[in-house]
Amino acid sequence: MYHFNFTPVFDNFYLLLYGAWLTVRLSFVAMILGLVVSVLGAVARTSRYKILRGLVGAYVEIIRNTPFLIQIFFLFFGLPAVGIALNPNVAALVALVINVGAYGTEITRAGIESVPHGQVEAGRALGLEPVQIFRYVVLKPALRNVYPAMTSQFIYLMLTSSVVSTISANDLASAGADLNAKTFASFEIYLVITAMYLVLSLLFSGLFRLVQHTLFNYPASR
Amino acid sequence: MKFFHTLAAAAIAATALLAPQAQATTLKQIEANGVLKVGMLVDFPPFGTMSATGAPEGYDADTAKALAKYLGTKIQIVPVTGPNRIPYLLSGQVDVLVASLGITPARAERVDFSNPYAGIEIMVYGKKDEDVKDGAGLAGKTIGVVRASTQDAGVTKVAPASATIRRFDDDAAAVQALLSGQVPLIGVSNVIAAQINKAAPGRFDEKFSLSSQVQGVAVVPGSDALLAKINAFVADAMKDGTMDKISEQWLGTKVPDFVRTGTAKAALK
Repeated sequence: MYHFNFTPVFDNFYLLLYGAWLTVRLSFVAMILGLVVSVLGAVARTSRYKILRGLVGAYVEIIRNTPFLIQIFFLFFGLPAVGIALNPNVAALVALVINVGAYGTEITRAGIESVPHGQVEAGRALGLEPVQIFRYVVLKPALRNVYPAMTSQFIYLMLTSSVVSTISANDLASAGADLNAKTFASFEIYLVITAMYLVLSLLFSGLFRLVQHTLFNYPASR
Repeated sequence: MKFFHTLAAAAIAATALLAPQAQATTLKQIEANGVLKVGMLVDFPPFGTMSATGAPEGYDADTAKALAKYLGTKIQIVPVTGPNRIPYLLSGQVDVLVASLGITPARAERVDFSNPYAGIEIMVYGKKDEDVKDGAGLAGKTIGVVRASTQDAGVTKVAPASATIRRFDDDAAAVQALLSGQVPLIGVSNVIAAQINKAAPGRFDEKFSLSSQVQGVAVVPGSDALLAKINAFVADAMKDGTMDKISEQWLGTKVPDFVRTGTAKAALK
């Protein structure tokens, strides 16, 4: 029978909390910036300029068809060769934004394409400016339509961020690995870390629901 | 319950009686057999590995072959593993161990060691222009290590609070961090340092040593004539360049001074 001994874990719990704090900050900032990249990407992908569509298409395909681990290695170990040495936490953030931006672009594009053209025409008929049409008539309903897909991508982003420990960023997974190396209480540590990731996921889900209630709480158009 | 305790004690006593008594290996026996049986690790590159054709090779293998040549015997290499290498020797299945066995006081209670033929040193290694001579010199610097490695422990112990220790998952990542310029310094073994120096000659050098361990040829306690002969071999091989050649082939550098000048006695202090 295995005897659980959580003492080494809770004696060093502040280390895990510190790691979790970086995971939260990384994920949160990556979600915000990722959303911006996604919207810009989706606009470019649905624009009438072929070159723009092609460039963003290439970005989306390259990122979605290569492993995240390799992308992060490329940014951290590869870029210094051309004089860009990012510190691990910054490299992690950039990698996460680039990664979630590619998936988000496709999700947002699907949202934009789901908005019926008649709605845009209705906006025009009401005398809205093109920017207003994009913001209120296209983008908002588009994001509302794909909100569940987008938020699950964001949760996935938070979980994926555990990979950044490979480039020595000090996130929750890395704090766990360090503590494991010190105490060898692997089972207890990974049990606690799993629970912490679960709690973080649930917290983010709660936050997303709150946003949904605030922004998209109006009757469906169809 | 008491009955079982007695039974268990009896069983343990019986096992102890059955265990083969370590018998000193005499030089004469080996010379009479014409074969030196050497226990060697085959899962510890670059010291002991199996070649593509299944033949043992590496630093240990070449040292063992040179030793057999010195004794004027043939060689039979017996693959052993880390945990079973000392039992192999003590039960007489091999005459000597050339199995990267670090000379430590605990092991010296079971076996006798020759003077060191190889060594592993853990050091702080980095860019040539980094002026770091000791732990205090790491203040304000960034240093990469492999998480939970001996280097990690060594660096963590000597580095002041203002030093940033970056922990990577394996040697490859830590070395990559150094080569790509992400960290100016790393903690590595002399073996890895030699490989780095081969990949990027002249860019990096050793800053200071964190710890070192020397490896000796092990024999059954009391095999004095054999041990004396092995020590003579080690001294000769160090002098005539045999060990340097082996070291250069497998580690990419000559035998370091802490091995050359080291003795089994000094290592056990």
